[in-house]
Amino acid sequence: MIIANNIYYTYTGAPPYILAGLNLEIKAGEYVSVIGDNGSGKSTLMRLLLGLLKPAQGTVISKAKRVGYVPQRGDFANSGFPITVYEMLRAYSRLLGVRDRRAIDRSLDLTGTRDLKNKLVGTLSGGQGQKVTIARALIGEPELLILDEPSTGIDVPSQAEIYGILRDLNRAHGLTIVSVEHNLQAALDSSTLIYHLHAGHGHICTPKQFIDEYLGGKA
Amino acid sequence: MLQYEFMQNAFIVAIAIAILCPCIGIFLVLRRYSMIGDTLSHASLAGISLALTVGGNPLLGAFIFTAFCGALIEFLRGFFKKNADLILSVVLALCVGIAITLISSGKVHASAESFLFGSVLTVTRGDMTIALALSVLTIGVLAIFYNQLVFIAYDEETAAVAGVRVKLINYIFSILVAAAVSVAIRVVGVLVLSSMIALPVAAALQLGRGFRATLALSILFSVTDIIAGITIAYYLNVAPGGFTAIVSVATLLLAIVGKQLTRTINGHLKGGM
Repeated sequence: MIIANNIYYTYTGAPPYILAGLNLEIKAGEYVSVIGDNGSGKSTLMRLLLGLLKPAQGTVISKAKRVGYVPQRGDFANSGFPITVYEMLRAYSRLLGVRDRRAIDRSLDLTGTRDLKNKLVGTLSGGQGQKVTIARALIGEPELLILDEPSTGIDVPSQAEIYGILRDLNRAHGLTIVSVEHNLQAALDSSTLIYHLHAGHGHICTPKQFIDEYLGGKA
Repeated sequence: MLQYEFMQNAFIVAIAIAILCPCIGIFLVLRRYSMIGDTLSHASLAGISLALTVGGNPLLGAFIFTAFCGALIEFLRGFFKKNADLILSVVLALCVGIAITLISSGKVHASAESFLFGSVLTVTRGDMTIALALSVLTIGVLAIFYNQLVFIAYDEETAAVAGVRVKLINYIFSILVAAAVSVAIRVVGVLVLSSMIALPVAAALQLGRGFRATLALSILFSVTDIIAGITIAYYLNVAPGGFTAIVSVATLLLAIVGKQLTRTINGHLKGGM
C-alpha cells in the first residue's frame, strides 16, 4: 500500500538526520502503530507518508488512490470556528469531488455519530470531535487511513470507543491504517504490527514480539 | 435625502461594500488575520499615492499595490511561521513609509488625505461602476473557491492532504482581499476599513451559528451598519466612514449583551425547572 525506501530527513537541510536510511513497507489490510520516544521522528515520518514533506534522500511510494487523514486533536480543535458537523463534512467532500450526499451519512454511521450532524463542531466533546474527524477522513472511501495520536486529550471511555472503531474499520472493512501512537497499550491491543522508531531508524514487529522483546513478555 | 444623485450613488456603493467586506472578513477573522485589513488599507493608501504621483487612476493604483502587498504577506508567511503578526507590522511599515514619503514630498497631484477618512458622498458614476464590477467579480471568485477557503481556514494541513493547492488558493485570496480593500477604501477610508472587515463578523460570531448562517448574519449586520452610518452621518454632517465604525461597534456590543442576557435567562429557566 505504501513504501518508504531508504528515507533521510532533516529540518535544517544538513545532518544530523532525524530519519536516517529508514525503510518501511505497509501492506494492504495492515494496522500499523508507529511508536517511539518524543523527538524520534514519528510525526516527521507521518508527514512524509502524507506527502506534506519531501525526503532529503529516498522515496515514498503510495499505491493508495485516496488517503484519509486524522490530525492530532490539538491541531484542529477550534472551539470558536462557526461550523456544523454537516457543513464541515460537506465542504470536505466537495474538496474531494464527492457529490453523493449519502457519503456523509455513511461515514457518520461508521463512527456512530449521525446524531451529531447538526451540532457545532466547537461544542463537541473531545471524543465526539475525534469520532467526527475520523468520519471526515472516511469520506471518499480511502484505502489508507493515517492518524496522528488519535487518543491525545481524550477521556478513557472515549479512547476505548475510538480504538474500537479503528479495529472495526481495519478488520471488518479491510481499511489499511497507520497510526502514530503515544498510547502504547492501545497500540499493542489494536494493531497488527508495531513500527518502533529509534535514533532515526525503525524496525517492524508484531505486538507479541514487541512485548517479548521490550516489555519482558508482560503487556 | 435619496432625491440627490450623490446619495443614491453613495448607498449603492456602500451596500456593495457592506456585502463584500464580511465575505472576505469571515475568512480573515477565522484565520486570526483580521488585522490584515488594517495593513492592506495602508497599502492601498500607498498605491493611491503612487498612482496620483504619476497621474494614474487611484483605484487601479490601490488595487495593484494592495494585491502586491497581499501576495508579499503570503510569501513572507513561509519565513515567519510562528510570528505571523510580525509580517503585518513589516508590510505596514513599508506602506506607511511609502505613503508618507510621497504625500509629504508634494508630488502627489491630488488630495490623498481624502482617502484617510473616506468620501462616499463624492462617489461618481464611474467609481460606482468600477466598485460594483470589482465587488461582483470578487464575490464570484469567492463562491468558486468557497469550499477550499472554508477548509483552509478550518484545517490547512488536512486541506493540503485532500489535494487542495493551499499556496495557490492563499495567493488568489490575497488578491481578492486587495480588490475588496481597494473598493472599500473610497467609501470608509483607510482609518476605519478594518472595522468593516472584522466587526460585523465579530458580532455574528456572538450568535453561535454555523458557517453559512454566520456569513449571512455578518452581511446583514454590515449592511445595517453602513446604511445607519451614512444616514446618521448625513444629518449630523460628519464623515460617514467614522460614524459607520461607531455603529458597527454598537452592533457588536448589542450582540455581546444579547448573548449574555440569553445565557442568563436560559440559566434561570433551567434552574427553576
